[in-house]
Amino acid sequence: MKQIFLPIVTPLAAALLVLCAPKKSNRMKEALALAGAAVNLFVAASLFNKNVNFSAPWLGFGIDLSLRADLLAGFILIAAAGFGFLVTLYSLAFMSDKASAKQFYFYLLVTLCLVNGAVLAENLFLMLFFWEGLLLTLFGMIAIGGKDSYKTAIKAFTIVGVSDLCMMIGIALTAHLAGTLAMSKISLSFTPMAGLAFTLLMIGALAKAGAMPFHSWIPDASLASPLPFMAFLPAALEKLLGIYFLARISLDMFRLSPGAWPSAMLMIIGSATILLAVMMALIQKDYKKLLSYHAISQVGYMVLGIGTALPAGIIGGLFHMINHAMYKSCLFLTAGSVEKEAGSTDLEKLGGIGLKMPVTFACFLIAAMSISGVPPFNGFFSKELLYGAALERGLVFYAAAALGSFFTALSFLKLGHAVYLGRIREENKNVKEAPWGMLFPMIALAAGCVIFGLWNKFPIHNIIQPIVAGEFSESMNAKIILATVIILCAALIHHLVSVKLRKRAINAVDNIHHAPMLSVIYDKAEKRHFDPYDIGLKAVSVFVWSAFLLDRMNDFIYNRLAPGCLGLAGRFISRSHSGNFATYIGWSILGMLIIVIFLMRGL
Amino acid sequence: MISSFIIAPLFILIFDRIFFSRSKLRNVIYWTSLVFFLAQMVMVIFPVERFMFCRVDNLSRVSLLSIGLVAFVTVLSSRQIMKDDSKRRIFISLVLIAVIGMNAVSTTRDLFSLYVFMEIASIASFVLIALNKERDAFEGAFKYVLFSAIATVFMLSAIGLILLISGGTSFNSIRDGLRISSHNFLIYFALGVFLSGLFIKGGVAPFHGWVMDAYTAAPASVSIFLAGIATKATGVYTLVRFADSVFLLTAPIKSVLLFVSAVSIIMAAIAAFMQDDMKRMLSYSSVSQVGYIIMGLGCGTPLGITGAMFHFFNHAVFKSLLFINSASLESRAGTRNMSVLSGMGKKMPVTALTSLIAGFSTAGVPPMAGFWSKLIIITALWLSGYRVYAFIAALASILTLGYILKMQRRVFWSRPADKDIQVKGAGFNLVFAETLLAAIIVSVGIFLPFWLRVR
Repeated sequence: MKQIFLPIVTPLAAALLVLCAPKKSNRMKEALALAGAAVNLFVAASLFNKNVNFSAPWLGFGIDLSLRADLLAGFILIAAAGFGFLVTLYSLAFMSDKASAKQFYFYLLVTLCLVNGAVLAENLFLMLFFWEGLLLTLFGMIAIGGKDSYKTAIKAFTIVGVSDLCMMIGIALTAHLAGTLAMSKISLSFTPMAGLAFTLLMIGALAKAGAMPFHSWIPDASLASPLPFMAFLPAALEKLLGIYFLARISLDMFRLSPGAWPSAMLMIIGSATILLAVMMALIQKDYKKLLSYHAISQVGYMVLGIGTALPAGIIGGLFHMINHAMYKSCLFLTAGSVEKEAGSTDLEKLGGIGLKMPVTFACFLIAAMSISGVPPFNGFFSKELLYGAALERGLVFYAAAALGSFFTALSFLKLGHAVYLGRIREENKNVKEAPWGMLFPMIALAAGCVIFGLWNKFPIHNIIQPIVAGEFSESMNAKIILATVIILCAALIHHLVSVKLRKRAINAVDNIHHAPMLSVIYDKAEKRHFDPYDIGLKAVSVFVWSAFLLDRMNDFIYNRLAPGCLGLAGRFISRSHSGNFATYIGWSILGMLIIVIFLMRGL
Repeated sequence: MISSFIIAPLFILIFDRIFFSRSKLRNVIYWTSLVFFLAQMVMVIFPVERFMFCRVDNLSRVSLLSIGLVAFVTVLSSRQIMKDDSKRRIFISLVLIAVIGMNAVSTTRDLFSLYVFMEIASIASFVLIALNKERDAFEGAFKYVLFSAIATVFMLSAIGLILLISGGTSFNSIRDGLRISSHNFLIYFALGVFLSGLFIKGGVAPFHGWVMDAYTAAPASVSIFLAGIATKATGVYTLVRFADSVFLLTAPIKSVLLFVSAVSIIMAAIAAFMQDDMKRMLSYSSVSQVGYIIMGLGCGTPLGITGAMFHFFNHAVFKSLLFINSASLESRAGTRNMSVLSGMGKKMPVTALTSLIAGFSTAGVPPMAGFWSKLIIITALWLSGYRVYAFIAALASILTLGYILKMQRRVFWSRPADKDIQVKGAGFNLVFAETLLAAIIVSVGIFLPFWLRVR
């Protein structure tokens, strides 16, 4: 067996074994799942920093079975394997009393297999195969959440499926333009057709990463699906995969330069995603839903970074991708701990449990500071790189990113204050610390945040920079750092003053929520007036309705109108054949006269 | 003129009347007539003048073949349908007389003898319709007599006028006479009246009033013969013969033929949809199909006349098969009312299958014989520039298929009704007649190229 097949085969084998595991034994399948994830991590680590290629003719028409493990792929591979392992470990405790655990492990391992396949695939067609397979596990993982989750699962399936369809067309167009399906051989410049192909591929990548406007299933899924799924897919693996593919198409397959219009398009999408999603996150009153909006908002930074097409921006975007995966996973895991121990993620029902769950609280604190960009955690450094690149491309993009940071900090101040600090509520008196199986992954991820922050040179130089061609200045812009610090301080002050005025941490952002213009927009957003899925559904329903009408019309013509006319004519003719021979003779004589007159008319 | 086609049935009749009147020998006429009809078919297919005592052209051969075939299956199936031996003897005698008339019409070259033999065939048909001495049968026969009388008036006066113009009654002299005559006015008057007479005989709209009543009221065996061949060999065949060898098809006459046929096709097909009585539906279908024959004739080209004669033959086959099917239903299931019948496909598989084949041939579904004749007619119409009529002919096929399928669904392929209909066993003769005709339809459809030398 070639080494490069191992990341695909190992999780798949483990998944099948989990399916075969006896029903009664919980330990068996858990052990199998954990072992599968661990072996996968080991395999991924063994492939890291190696250049392995494999190619064999397969289906013909340029569709080859070709795999490639280069630095970028290896990096994503090991990150995905790491998250897979940690989430599996976490799930052992979290899912232990859930009936759907077996399916969950199966889907998790299959997802790992497919993600590995998609990352390793060198042929676009092969990649599409793995990519589409993820659609099924995504549907499955959301759907096992319970009765109400089917609707969300269908929503996610529809959104991702439609954008995957766009990507499929994009791949066909790219293959047509480039004449090959091998990614490494494709190198297109932005002609209008190539631009269309890029846009279509980009839609696929952005939908996978969950950027706006393909985001709306994520907040719904956060409430409906099992929590480790959120930490695993939308927070980590989908971002990794989506941004990986975005980087692939921007860096390798298309020559994205700062002057090209797709660059501006990406930056606009990125900025809009940052701001709109964070504004929504700000007003959420549910732990998981708030986090899910941040999961969308943070994609904006990555898209913005890659969209700048500057080395600093791309490195910042990729660095932010891995950082985000770590702290967002960590945050979701803390939410899981709180949910399991306190029984709720509703901010109204939580409060003051920080002292009861000190380790969870500490992990949350580190991850929250990371996401807000507080030095010296990892989020700070990736954001600094992004800010620099954004500022170079235009003040407005920097402003959007910085404003996004401000609101991020505000919302996490509110969240942390409302959940962990303040007066403890009566029903939370008996809350205990989460079990070690759940704590360990959180601690590992929080440690990752600290390590990548303090020793940020290591990942940037050894892993990310070799991926990106071109030099970038390492010196940080002092003005940007100052601005960041000022923004963070402003957020802190705003929070403190606001809590003082309104007495409750949960109401800390009410002045923004109920601001004159914003409150109207917020109301409509809360009522889902802006959900692209719902708008799309309305448009589709109009189409369906008109198609239905057309069909009815057809049916009417065939089932009613034609037989009706026929029946009418038939009855009329039958009635006129009354059997009265005098009438018949009359017809005959009349007919004879007409014929004779007709024949003689010209003479 | 005096051919074996006329002499032989006459002799069979006379000898039967003189020698075989005793009850034990009543079936002699059945067998001898069967042999004669077979011999007629063989003689037509392999023409040997020594046995025929006359010359026949291909037009006559198609007509003689159809007459022989339909008369054969009629007499054959009558053994099953008509149980009474003495009545069947009378029936067969009358059929023989009608066949004499039709054979003579098919072979004659003289206008006046044509008229006389046509009357012989018609008179035999009157009696045949009224054979059962029932009220409806009398009414049908009466209508036929009435219309025949009108047709006679039309035709006789036209013949008188033609005689006046041309000075002779043989086809050749009439043709030459008409060609050199300067009395265009009189000629067209005579032709118009004569055409109307033939339309009445052939049962074309709007001269078709008697057709439904006569066909429906006639006894089962009689309507097979009547609808299958009797009216066609007198009215329609004469029309074709005249168009071919007496008067040239001029533009106004073509217009009349085409228009009349289009009206027949559409009107009768629509009316056929609404019928409950199977025989009545089939008689409307008959009017509609005669429309096709005349439409082929109306386009005036050799191809069109070929198609018309081919359809003439096909119609004789499938329409007599359909009437045998209805006779089979009537004699075995006890009714031919389509609103009562249901789910007969399981109980009468041969009848169901053969009627499906005949129906498909009627509608022109490949690979049945009817498909080719309709195709030839439509092609001829298209090639001679009558595009609108070609469209009408093609679209009316859908109507035809519609009422045929409606009949099939109601009678044979529907779910059996609660009230179960008892079915008597099928006899050999019926099954044989049905299978023979169905086999002819299918094999003609498949082996068409050998049959294309019609004219």
